[in-house]
Amino acid sequence: MTILNLLFIVFLGILFFIAYFHISNYLLDSYGGRSVKRYNFENSIRVIVFIAPAFIVLFVFILYPVFETIRLSFYDKFGREFVGLYNYKWAVNDPEFRRSILNNLVWLLVVPTLSTFFGLVIANLADRIWWGSIAKSIIFMPMAISFVGAGVIWKFIYEYRGPDNTQIGLLNSIIVSLGYEPQAWLTIPIWNNFFLMAIMIWIQTGLALVIFSAALRSIPKEMLEAARIDGASELKIFFSIIIPYLEQTILVIWTLITIIVLRIFDIIFAMTNGEWQTGVLANLMYDWMFRGGGDSGRGSVLAIVIMIGVIPILAWNLYKHRQEQKI
Amino acid sequence: MKRLYKILLISFLSFVFSFSAYAGGHKYTGPDLSGQKVVMFGPWLSPEQEIMREVGAIFEKATGATFEYGGSDSFEQQVMIDLKAGSAADLVVFPQPGLAANAAAMGGLVPLGDDIKQMVLDNYAAGQSWIDLSTYDDENGNEQFNAIFFRTNVKSLVWYSPDNFEDNGYEVPSSMEELMALTEQMASDGNTPWCIGLGSGAATGWPATDWMEDIMLRTHSPDVYDMWVSNEMPFNDPRVLEAMDFFGSIALNDSYVNGGSKAVATTDFRDAPNGLFTSPAECMMHRQASFIPAFFPEGVEAGVDYDFFYFPAFAGKDLGTPVLGAGTLVAATNDNPATIEFMKFLMHPEPHEYWMAKGGFLTPHKGVDGSKYASDTFRKLGEILTGATTFRFDASDLMPGAIGAGTFWTGMVDYTNGKSAKDVADAIQDSWDAIK
Repeated sequence: MTILNLLFIVFLGILFFIAYFHISNYLLDSYGGRSVKRYNFENSIRVIVFIAPAFIVLFVFILYPVFETIRLSFYDKFGREFVGLYNYKWAVNDPEFRRSILNNLVWLLVVPTLSTFFGLVIANLADRIWWGSIAKSIIFMPMAISFVGAGVIWKFIYEYRGPDNTQIGLLNSIIVSLGYEPQAWLTIPIWNNFFLMAIMIWIQTGLALVIFSAALRSIPKEMLEAARIDGASELKIFFSIIIPYLEQTILVIWTLITIIVLRIFDIIFAMTNGEWQTGVLANLMYDWMFRGGGDSGRGSVLAIVIMIGVIPILAWNLYKHRQEQKI
Repeated sequence: MKRLYKILLISFLSFVFSFSAYAGGHKYTGPDLSGQKVVMFGPWLSPEQEIMREVGAIFEKATGATFEYGGSDSFEQQVMIDLKAGSAADLVVFPQPGLAANAAAMGGLVPLGDDIKQMVLDNYAAGQSWIDLSTYDDENGNEQFNAIFFRTNVKSLVWYSPDNFEDNGYEVPSSMEELMALTEQMASDGNTPWCIGLGSGAATGWPATDWMEDIMLRTHSPDVYDMWVSNEMPFNDPRVLEAMDFFGSIALNDSYVNGGSKAVATTDFRDAPNGLFTSPAECMMHRQASFIPAFFPEGVEAGVDYDFFYFPAFAGKDLGTPVLGAGTLVAATNDNPATIEFMKFLMHPEPHEYWMAKGGFLTPHKGVDGSKYASDTFRKLGEILTGATTFRFDASDLMPGAIGAGTFWTGMVDYTNGKSAKDVADAIQDSWDAIK
């Protein structure tokens, strides 16, 4: 019943937009075309009419929230009273905020770098062995798992039980069988950040791997053969031919993963919820915005900080994209 | 506030005495609400959510309306998102009055009106005290009656296995001194005295706040407790630090807790009591509220496999026998006829009796049939209440949401992970100052 309703509404919506474009087009056609002046006028109207739906969607879902967030950041927790820069001052002095920024930076440095590195190395090695494609598909599989799902799986890997009890966590049972004390991995500050990053790397390596495998095929065989005939070692080939040749691909993958890491939230939410000093800005924002009644003022300040952090990377990405189009 | 607590205590006492008021079950009859739907959202997950759905089925049968319940252990955040987005469920189950007050201040709840208020006054023992705890300022600062308490609990309980106690020759302690001596003896016998688990998804840390509250009530006068709740006494007061250190003397002692202090914050509170029932037992005692048997392993029997005793007071301190309690509140986000009728349904004895029979449910409802309680164990909770000289509502539930459902929780997690009591309390007080 509800699904039918939904389909009907979707159908109506599509019908409405088809009608919107056709009718407005028809009206403009019947109006213009008789003189140059009218023709020009009609054309400029047509542009506005055709672009309007997209612009309205963009405005409602992207521009309006941005301005509303900026407005809320100057208001109290209910968004009613103007408090000036109070929320910003609070953020600067908040130790949690500073730690979250630091954690974010470490995530942004470590995860894209290691994912790209592992992807590149594995793609190279997998090409040389007969079971390479099996290995590649296994490494690619985590890509199909959601971050929360991956979090639940890795919770079992990091699970901690007291030294006297049976370890049900993979990592601890290995360590105990080697004769060491079990560790509560997720509660060891600083290191626990890296244990969480391992999950993200585990997922993203597959992405890098697949793209690199394809890119490797584009390296001319003759060039590699020529290098081998000249007596270059495989390491030399890797560093002097493959890496320079794949430079663009490496950059694309690195920025792609960086953008994914910028939105990191789910893994931390599912694993530690930001406890034990693992919080990042997105988790802190969510906490302030919604936990215990919520505080839209402080939450908005944090949202703006995240937005400002994203801008340089997006700008750089756009710049790159433009340059490529020029070529 | 103080008067309110007194009334609350009386209310608990009178519901204990009202067991024999009626005989036989009660049947709810309601108006015809065919085709209407009531959606409820709350913090209850399995097994409580099944019981809530069964309770809802009674309503469905009587009125022809449909009832849906959904639960989340990130409820505290989710409900605020829903309210702000204007897409909240018709009925919302708040685990803390503080959070409900926040929701009301946002303008997210509808006033329930005099009908239901009168029903609470008539049906709940000392109804006025419950109304006071569920009357909040709305977005314009006007006081409104917003919620009814459904399912209350007592927190000052220690659960144990009588068999384990018998095998080892342990006696149920009658004072805190005896309890600490027993703890020490268990540890020296090679047993692990306590199971503690603070994990609870996004609400991780709350079980430790209950410990803190129980200890505060046992080390200082109730006035100090009230000052702590209202922040008249700062959170980093030496008296609070003393309570935290007392908690630490158990939770941070590797030989006192199952899995060592590292396991405290990483163990889920729902899994923690399982250690009582393993063989050999992973722990001897578990301090938790009256709802915890809902999470015990399948098939264990109250009074046989498990029992409880009162978390005792210090014999050396003249503070009587304090009891800590709490409850969940049901509030409405709209005044559809079906939604309001469901509220009235919750004031009827039948849903109370249904859940009582399932266990883990206490109610101040005067009209319920006491014989419906699942077992004598739950009836025995009454004795703990009749013996109480002080009753206090859960402090973290009364504190502002950002503290009581935020920094207090995370602070206790930090504390069990080795941060000093002073640093933890300073950070909590800073966050309290920040929201003033």
